[in-house]
This record gives sequence, C-alpha cells and structure tokens, in this order.
Amino acid sequence: MTGMIQGGWEYVWVVYGATWFTLAAYTVSLFVRERSNP
Amino acid sequence: MKWENWVGLLGLALISVGHYQGLFVAPPEAMMGDVGRILYAHVPTAWVALVVYLVAFVAAVGSLGSGKRGWDALVESAVEVGVVLNLLLLFQGAVWAKPTWGVFWTWDPRLTTTAIMAVSFIGVLVLRAMLNRPAQRAVASAVYTIFAFVSVPVVYFSVKWWKTLHQPFSSPETVDSPMVTPLRVAAFGMLFLATFLIARRWRLAYAKLSREDEAPDLPPAAAAIRLEGGGA
Repeated sequence: MTGMIQGGWEYVWVVYGATWFTLAAYTVSLFVRERSNP
Repeated sequence: MKWENWVGLLGLALISVGHYQGLFVAPPEAMMGDVGRILYAHVPTAWVALVVYLVAFVAAVGSLGSGKRGWDALVESAVEVGVVLNLLLLFQGAVWAKPTWGVFWTWDPRLTTTAIMAVSFIGVLVLRAMLNRPAQRAVASAVYTIFAFVSVPVVYFSVKWWKTLHQPFSSPETVDSPMVTPLRVAAFGMLFLATFLIARRWRLAYAKLSREDEAPDLPPAAAAIRLEGGGA
C-alpha cells in the first residue's frame, strides 16, 4: 500500500474525450452557423 | 486564410502536444497516480474560462462606454465561449472528483461558486435571446455581464476564503517541475483555441448586429400604428 490511487485511467479518458469532443463540436457549430448566415 | 485560423491551428498543435505529454510523458501524481493526469485538461480549461470571462467584462465596459456594435458582438461571443468552457470545466471536475473524493458532486465552495458562475453567464445569453431591440439588448447584457463577472474573483479566491476539498489554485509554483511544461503547453494551446473560437463567433455576432441595424426596427404595420398613436 503506497497511499496512491491505483488505476483510474477510465476517468482520464472520459475527461480528455469530453474536452476534445466539446472543442470540436463547438467549432463545427460555428462553421455550420456561418454557412447558414453567409 | 484569416488570422484567427492560424491562431486556432497553433492552439490545436499546442494542446495536442500538452495533452500527449500529460498522458504519456509526465509522471503519475504522488497521491492521485494516473488520475492526476486530468490536471492537464482541467486546469487549462479553468484558467482560460476565467480569462475569457475577463474578456467579456472588458467588452461589456467597452460596449457601455462607446455604444459600438463591435464591443457588443464581443460580449456575445466571449460570454458564449466562456459558458462552453465553464460547462466543460464542471464536467471535467465532476469526473475527477469521483476517483479522488468518492462522489461526482459535493456542495464544496469551489464547485458551488463555479456552478453559480456558469448560471450567471448563461443568464446573459438568455437575456440577449429575449431582447429584440439592439440598443436595449446591448446595454442590458453589458450591465448584466458586469454583474455576472463578480462571480469570477469569487471562484478564484474561494479556495482561500473557505475551507474546501478542492486543492489550492494550481500554478507552475505549486506543481512539480516535470509537470510544468505539459501544463503550460496545454494552457497556451487552450488560450489560442479560445481566441480562435471567440474571433469566429465575433464575426457571426457582428454580421447579425449589422443586419439588424440595416433592417427597420419594427414591421411596417407596427410602425404605422406607432405613428398614428403619436409615436409613443
């Protein structure tokens, strides 16, 4: 026992996935809105 | 290519490098182990969300002072990007809280004030959607943005003012040296990406405000009724 949390990579991947997804989705939403309002 | 696209590409490159280093190069955190790698996504999001809200505050002051539509468009764009980052920040924090605190959410001062900050700035967007008259909307949303900005220093200092589960404000001085580089690189990447998003959103907002200024304030029938009624 070291006192260090073991494992937990699934939480890491969820956070990084959500970060990239949010940034990508918002960027796409801006391009879609630009196209619909030229 | 527009300047903001270059900034966006630079941000994309930096955040890719920062996240790669945070995931695969930086050592595990002393207490949290690999879960501590969430730091390199969460902390840059927090820093940049606060900076973006500061931009919204400056734009609101500029809008009130000048009445120019460029500042009003910046209020709209910075608040929207800030809210996106703020909601992402809350989600990241909740996921990080589960393996470290045992719960996704607790009414801790840092978490609670961050949620209040999100709701405050969402209110700015709701207000803008409700008001049709450009001048009235610009003034009202600028004033509300200035009030909403009060929550930003409260969030920043919440870990100093109250007893909290949340760790103190992270900075290069409070993390170990092998963790500083990925944190800085990811933070600059997020800052450049946010600049790109604000600039693209600003162009949309400015174009919409320009169309509104060119269009009549009321439909012809309603304008005729106003004239017959003495213009009241």
